[in-house]
Amino acid sequence: MQLLVNALIAGSLAALIAGGLSLVFGILGVYNLALGQTVLVGGFAAWWLRQVAGLPLALAIPGGIVAGALLSWLTFDVFIRPFYRRHIRLPLVTTIALGMILDGLIILLFGERPRAILRETKRVFDAGAFQISLEQMMLIGFTLLILALFGWTLHHTAFGRRLRAVAQHDHAALSVGVDAPRLHRLIVVLSGTLAACGGIFIGIDQNLSPTLAFPLTIKAYAAVIAGGLGNVWGAIACAFLIALLEQLTVGIRWFGRFYVPAGYQATIPLLFIIFILLIKPSGLFQSGRRLG
Amino acid sequence: MQLPPYSMKKHIALVGLLAIALSACQPAGQGGGTIKLGYIGPLTGDAASYGKDTLNGVLFAVEELNAAGGINGKKVEVIAEDGKCTGADSASAAQKLVNVDNVSAIIGGQCSGETLAAAPIAEAGKVVLISPFSSSPDITQAGEYIFRDYPSDALKTKAIARFFAEKGYKKVALITENTDFASAFRTSLTKDLGEDAIVFDEMVDPGTKDFRTLMTRLKKVEFDVFFPNAQTDAVMAAMLQQLREQKLAQPVVSHDVGDSLTLPEIAKDAVEGMYVINVPAFGEGTGFEAKVIQTYGKPQATIAIVAHAYDATMVVADAMKAGAMNGTAIKDALAALTNHVGIIGDFHFDVNGDVVGVGYVVKQHQGGKIVKVQELSLDAPSATATGATVEDGSGAVMEKEPGAAMEKKPASAMEKKGDAMEKAASSK
Amino acid sequence: MDFFWHMLFITANWVPLACAYTLMLGRGRILNWGPIGVGLVAAYAIFIVQTATGSYVLGAVAGLALTAAVSLLYAWLALRLRDDAFGVMAIAVHLGLIALVLNWPSLTRGALGIPRIARMPGLESTPAFALLALVIAVVWVLALLRIDRGAFGRNLQAMGEQEWNATAIGVSRTRVYVIVFLLLGLALWTDNLLFPQYLRLLHPNDYQFPVFVFLITIVVAGRPGSVRGAALATALLVPLREGLRFLPFAPGALGPLRLILFGVILFAAVWWRRETLFPVQRSV
Repeated sequence: MQLLVNALIAGSLAALIAGGLSLVFGILGVYNLALGQTVLVGGFAAWWLRQVAGLPLALAIPGGIVAGALLSWLTFDVFIRPFYRRHIRLPLVTTIALGMILDGLIILLFGERPRAILRETKRVFDAGAFQISLEQMMLIGFTLLILALFGWTLHHTAFGRRLRAVAQHDHAALSVGVDAPRLHRLIVVLSGTLAACGGIFIGIDQNLSPTLAFPLTIKAYAAVIAGGLGNVWGAIACAFLIALLEQLTVGIRWFGRFYVPAGYQATIPLLFIIFILLIKPSGLFQSGRRLG
Repeated sequence: MQLPPYSMKKHIALVGLLAIALSACQPAGQGGGTIKLGYIGPLTGDAASYGKDTLNGVLFAVEELNAAGGINGKKVEVIAEDGKCTGADSASAAQKLVNVDNVSAIIGGQCSGETLAAAPIAEAGKVVLISPFSSSPDITQAGEYIFRDYPSDALKTKAIARFFAEKGYKKVALITENTDFASAFRTSLTKDLGEDAIVFDEMVDPGTKDFRTLMTRLKKVEFDVFFPNAQTDAVMAAMLQQLREQKLAQPVVSHDVGDSLTLPEIAKDAVEGMYVINVPAFGEGTGFEAKVIQTYGKPQATIAIVAHAYDATMVVADAMKAGAMNGTAIKDALAALTNHVGIIGDFHFDVNGDVVGVGYVVKQHQGGKIVKVQELSLDAPSATATGATVEDGSGAVMEKEPGAAMEKKPASAMEKKGDAMEKAASSK
Repeated sequence: MDFFWHMLFITANWVPLACAYTLMLGRGRILNWGPIGVGLVAAYAIFIVQTATGSYVLGAVAGLALTAAVSLLYAWLALRLRDDAFGVMAIAVHLGLIALVLNWPSLTRGALGIPRIARMPGLESTPAFALLALVIAVVWVLALLRIDRGAFGRNLQAMGEQEWNATAIGVSRTRVYVIVFLLLGLALWTDNLLFPQYLRLLHPNDYQFPVFVFLITIVVAGRPGSVRGAALATALLVPLREGLRFLPFAPGALGPLRLILFGVILFAAVWWRRETLFPVQRSV
């Protein structure tokens, strides 16, 4: 039971980052390797506003989210837009460059030290079979709320329809009057916003250090790939699945005999995903795609 | 005109000082040029907080040296290089420092990979390299020119074993971050406590922050003390928070990494009461800690490694002040050194260039501060005989009040250094 | 002077990998993002056997065998997975291999690395290493240029551009993939036969993801698919990266500033060459 709760905590974080990314990757087809840094910038900005500027949490959190949104706007207009029409792989390199620049800036601006948005130990809530802190429950709640809002927008609004139209066929959508480039920008900003939420999540639940970026990016991409190209719900489901596998890897006495060494906690779920992809190359949750 | 070499040097130094006094803007003394000290450490990447701290330790030492007129009238200049915790970057850095900049000595190599890759280059170029923060046992045999003022794990884990025996901790739960520092420490600790004492032993990927499931498992294990063997305080904070979240109330004992004022900042209550076994590093009586914080702000990780880097720089500077101006002479001076009064304690180097004489103290996190609670005496070189079986805990009295913490070190530690160095030079 | 030889060695030792990788990425359009994992296996295989037996020949042979095996594993994954799925999963394999090295200390010494690696007889000095690496680099460039212009190069390009059409005219996808992965493995093997000896140290930190980031930087700067470009870009970028050490930044901020500067240069280079970096797809 505790394992499930642990997975829910870790999975919520991964799902936040992977959900937005799945849209970017599915629709634009570009790799944004500075995504992990966007997560950190969101988290560090919220930390700065809370602990240095002394603002209340209710202001610091939106501040961090805005920072992430602004950064991803910049990412799109400077590091993606001039390139991705030229070749779909060019942003891969430009966002690596952006990642380096941000890595440097994060150290210069926020220091090498780890930071936490909340300092106190969490108020732990004992539910008999498992324990969870108030903050964690709120984080999970917020994540689910954000994801639900996201899903509602995607499926029940005109904007969502346009988005799905672009996802299915770029040029066809353009011909019926959907402004694809503007939507692309919106999608990237949306993904950056969700990423920033992820950063704040980390800053509240654990602590932020300047070198978290890369593992976050990899896990998010693994979820996106495993969930099926452009399938937002698949990506979110896979983010939770990876988190659950991570907990199961080290939390269970396998075959009643041995524990998997904790050093393999991060790799075994990834290898499992490779295994799934070998059986079902289009991803776990990929259904037939409509063609325009 | 046959002056004895020593007074000749003094003479030059005097002229140099005069020259500086006359023309304040001229950077170099009469001899021309400056004394260059190289620095290698991780300034970016996972271990950057340690790199920043050691670099600040070196810069702080050099600032003090220059404020006091430099070394023999020559200003000291630091050439810093980013070793990025890798062998490849550190090798390039060392090649540049040794063969292009012609530095007099190198302070650095922190990750063992950095030190081990830089060592052969320093060795070939006959340049002394002092690592302030490499604990890997491999460095012991890295070469004649390779020193470190960071004590080997063997002594520290003996001190810890002794502390555990005093406290009656028999069952230890250990979580290790899989890095060079932490894994070498784990090996040494397991040896001193005995395999059976470690009732929970897991190694996690470097940078892991999610320990919830391990802590869930730990709940089913009966243990007396938890030892978070992390490489960085960020990871240690995550361990501690998630330990306490699971309502595990066992005492926590840690090593250097726990000696960090960042910990209470990011894991306030969870870190309260944690014991830290480390070298004394506040520089009591010298205002070392206060001065460092004033100049560079709070340490990124811990004041202890700022102190290690500072002492490493000063021990080289003292050798040079005593006339050892080239690599081989500095090496001989360090090898012959009998006592250096540093921030981390009174130390010298053994035949392998490993530091000897640094003692340990037990500190404790109390209300956001780190307070010394107890000294751990070790008969340093012959400690092998005592092993982990020290059961006699009656001698050590716990001193809870910070004010009552006694220091055997004299208040004027800084002044004493010169004498120690002269002793070393004369004993040569 | 020694620094010059050092730079020459470092630069020349990057060439085989950069040139082999540019063929895979540019010609074959295979997104292999975990090549450094193969290098890790090569290096550990060579030097674990070499330290255990004292024989360089045995080490080299064992290294070659294991490198080939891991390369084939990569090739198999590349054949089975969609292109970008393979890209991300290759990273996963790379991370898995690092985890294996770290968590198997009885064999690999884990995070401590293997120190004091002995240098091959006759290869004691930096100039000797530099000259040998230079010769190897030249041989590699010439051989790869030949391969690129030959039948295999055309097959690889055909497979990268129009997979179905290429298969239709009788190019075997399996064969092309196996060969190009083995070629890359061979490059990583030569690279790692020399590098740990040169450092006298084999350490897992030298096989982390940033190494790959630098590799892809070189390959993109040299235009993917161009062997000559990759060689030239190596000759420019490796000295540039080390050359940044000579800029007089304040010691306190030098690490991040160099990182930022390299990022800016990389971005500027791609911006400047964005029209020509990837040629527009030819249609049949």
